[in-house]
Amino acid sequence: MARIAPTLLMAGSLTLASACATYYHTQADFNREFERGDLNRALEALQRRDQHEHGRNKFLYLVNNGLVLSVMGKYRESNEYFEKAYLFGEDYHKDYINEVASYWTNPMVTVYRGEDHEHLMVLYYKALNFLKMEKYEQALVECRRLNIRLQELSDKYKSPEKYRRDAFIHTLMGIIYQAMQDYNNAFIAYRNAFEIYEDDYARLFSLRAPEQLQYDLLNTAWWTGLHQEYEYYKERFGLEEYTPKRPEAELVFFWHNGLSPVKEEWSIDFAIHTRQGKDVLFVNEAMGLNFAFTLDDDDDRSRLSGLSIYRVAFPRYRERPVFYRGAHLQYEGQRYPLETAEDLNRIAIHSLRERMMLEFSKGLLRAALKKATEMSLRKEDVTLGALIGVVNAITEHADTRNWQTLPHTISYARIPLREGDNEVDFVLYEPAGGEYRHHFKYRATRNQTLFHTFSSLESMDSPYRSAW
Amino acid sequence: MLSRTLLLFTSIALVSCARTVTRVSPDTQIDLSGRWNDTDSRRVADQMIYDLFNSSDFKEYARALNRKPVIIVGNILNRTSEHIDADNYIRRLEVVIHNSKVADLVESSEFRDALRRERAEQQDFADPATVKQFGKELGADLMLFGEMTSEIDDYNNRRVVNYITTLFLTDIETNRRVWYGQHEIKKYIRN
Repeated sequence: MARIAPTLLMAGSLTLASACATYYHTQADFNREFERGDLNRALEALQRRDQHEHGRNKFLYLVNNGLVLSVMGKYRESNEYFEKAYLFGEDYHKDYINEVASYWTNPMVTVYRGEDHEHLMVLYYKALNFLKMEKYEQALVECRRLNIRLQELSDKYKSPEKYRRDAFIHTLMGIIYQAMQDYNNAFIAYRNAFEIYEDDYARLFSLRAPEQLQYDLLNTAWWTGLHQEYEYYKERFGLEEYTPKRPEAELVFFWHNGLSPVKEEWSIDFAIHTRQGKDVLFVNEAMGLNFAFTLDDDDDRSRLSGLSIYRVAFPRYRERPVFYRGAHLQYEGQRYPLETAEDLNRIAIHSLRERMMLEFSKGLLRAALKKATEMSLRKEDVTLGALIGVVNAITEHADTRNWQTLPHTISYARIPLREGDNEVDFVLYEPAGGEYRHHFKYRATRNQTLFHTFSSLESMDSPYRSAW
Repeated sequence: MLSRTLLLFTSIALVSCARTVTRVSPDTQIDLSGRWNDTDSRRVADQMIYDLFNSSDFKEYARALNRKPVIIVGNILNRTSEHIDADNYIRRLEVVIHNSKVADLVESSEFRDALRRERAEQQDFADPATVKQFGKELGADLMLFGEMTSEIDDYNNRRVVNYITTLFLTDIETNRRVWYGQHEIKKYIRN
């Protein structure tokens, strides 16, 4: 039995070690094809791992499938995956057995729940897919779901420093309601979006309300008959001369620029200090970090303090800077700039930073438990204890999972179209100063709002150039 | 420490987290977030119906008309910051008005357009003996419309919201306001 145990432990540690490369690296084949822009091969690589649909990375498997299929223009199939991802978020319950296991291994063994902004983006893509299929009623259903998700988000956090309100999602809801000629709800959504841009986004993400939002807010106020509100915002925006106009048709163009940040791992060494009473302090003086744990057992305290240094792994984001500096649409001699409405890169980094203290506490508790287990076993069996020490070292890793195919930033523009055929140029600004031009044709019926999404998958990190 | 921690974690693991669903009576008041909910819709509808039926102005209008007034439901403006579906209580109002026989209802523009399309298509495709005629719609005497507003006071995780629903019943021919109803719902929410 004594010999079997180390063998089993070794096998177990090898299995766990496979969960220990960063998530980005475990998906290398998919990421390579996706970043290179070969979506068919990216999808093949993704679907080769269809067992992930039922595993701990289920959410990521579903949203990656949904996103790739959406970029490929397979909107119906894409929404099948996004619907499953939405239901996953609805039905998610913490698996406490897995959570406990993660304290003896690493958090990558738990089911990935998804970040707050990722769950909103599921519904964003789903609504857009419906709009492109001209299934407006279904897009409105997603709008209502988004509203519920936004309410849940604002109820979840109290601190104004947290990402607790999403201005872009309110803007999107306004755009959908406006496309459905529900101007009253569109106005409410735009007004909420504007306040959030001014109150939260300017302060947390250095992002002000897009100019287009101001015009949309004024238009919908006027068309709803909210003349008091119309006059108030006209003065507030300094647009006293503006008069709402209804074009024959419209195009709302979303530009998904670059790729969201990738979580990677970093480690901190902590020294252990015991002090009077029952507290044990984990200290990293260079970073000014100081965490106290209370241990009742004198032996445990002395055992932990006997280990001078602990290495604990934590997640952090690495930005993938965008390749294109900006873009505009050109239509009938007019330029319409693509205005940034959502900076997913900053939202992701900010959200993780805001919960870093929690991450530190969880990581240190994990380290303390692992070391305490090792020391207890050493007392009974030195070999087994040493082996556990090796396993602990191998398995000490941070949770590096996130939805990595999301864009870095989302920009949009609304342009008036004529009933019938229209030709529009989309012009991207390259870093060296050049321009990259795409030409699109649109056929619009009267009062129709067309939707187009353009994804630039390039980032400064990527050697490949690709765009849809 | 280890044994105690294990015990603690095992206890947590054994706590069941299965979702439970219980059916409750639709008129049960359940407030979770403090936002506008079904209870508010119901209260607004009940109060407004009571106000309308007890309005001497409305009774007098019906008496002077010497028949049941015909009402059309117009637009309810939402000036609050929440996406509130006014249809939830407007439909309730319509049901009670219809069942009470106090007034007749005609379809609002939402459904009227569909009916007119159907009538137009009948002219080409339906059996002539069953084709419905144009120009026989019942003209409304009164239009019900209104607005919802909210006043919010927010401080230190505490919030007071006052929802004000105002409905007007106006004579379409003369623009005279026949009935005017207002209902307030004030909520104090502590987070």
